[in-house]
Amino acid sequence: MNELLDHLLATPLLAIALTLAAYFAGDRLFRLVGAPGWCPPILVAALLLAGVLALLGIDYADYREGAGWLMLLLGPATVALGLPLYQQMGHIRTMWRPLLLCLPIAAGMAAFYAVGIAWLLNAPPETLASLAPKSVTAPIAIGITEQIGGSVSLMMGGLLLTGVVAIGFVDLVARWLKIRDPRLLGLALGINGHALGTVRAFEIGPAAGAFASLGMSLTGILTALLLPLAWRLPGLVG
Amino acid sequence: MPLLRGFLWLLGFLLVGDALVTLAGLPVSAGVVGMLLLTAWLMMRGTVSGDIAAAAQPLIGVLAMLIMPGVVGVFFILDTLAGQWLAILAALVGGTLLSVFTTLWLMRWLMGNERLDHE
Repeated sequence: MNELLDHLLATPLLAIALTLAAYFAGDRLFRLVGAPGWCPPILVAALLLAGVLALLGIDYADYREGAGWLMLLLGPATVALGLPLYQQMGHIRTMWRPLLLCLPIAAGMAAFYAVGIAWLLNAPPETLASLAPKSVTAPIAIGITEQIGGSVSLMMGGLLLTGVVAIGFVDLVARWLKIRDPRLLGLALGINGHALGTVRAFEIGPAAGAFASLGMSLTGILTALLLPLAWRLPGLVG
Repeated sequence: MPLLRGFLWLLGFLLVGDALVTLAGLPVSAGVVGMLLLTAWLMMRGTVSGDIAAAAQPLIGVLAMLIMPGVVGVFFILDTLAGQWLAILAALVGGTLLSVFTTLWLMRWLMGNERLDHE
């Protein structure tokens, strides 16, 4: 049995098949339990996949080596995000002044609060570097984390949790501040909750969805450009 | 084969981005530079070719699947994070609450100013 498993793991095919199977099974299961808004289908799929790997006794490093072939597609997928960005140029132009001021501050604060809190609670530098890109969409965040020396696995877990809580908090804070403008709700969801928040924003409406994609893309770009530079400033990592 | 032709375009932008990042020593990922190049290219053309849309839309649609191998990793490093749980959870949950509040409050304030400017 072990020999067979080793043989099948010699090529990336098994890892890719397991990932695809877990993705579709997770999606199915997610619908079966009534598609709860607070739980992204990807969380169900990741739990399923982790369970299968543990059951089969497949080492994560071995799995990761094969599944790396799938993650290679993240490069062209990141480039593809240029398409929705171009399609929203009209929106960007009409609101360019508030956006120009708000986006750098909001994107910077999203990273700063998390790093600040973790730093105050004595988290080591590697953990700080993994938490900093928590609000950035995954393909961009992976690049940032690798550059500033964080753990991609921890960053991905943080990304998932951030997306889930951002959806709840935007709802809560918007009600508290009496904000109903779908453009603002979408923007807040995209800036703070990356792709998960953007999916939620499209449920609110097309305007919210468009602004969430915009917030997500621009937060990704700004953080990718500025965070590695900020990380080089002495004293930040303490 | 519009999908494959579009995929080749995306790879082209990615490779040009990679070359720029490497040659100029930029601290950003090749994908981000490729994305900005694609946006700039589309703005210059003023239209989206069917080939690029045919490759870009399905790729964006499966983004969640592409990050799964990374997400799964967090379940396998839980041991190494012992003792850091409070810091990590406080940073993620508290940090996100603060940044959501900052975004909404700031944007409402800025858009309020904008409206006054036009009156």
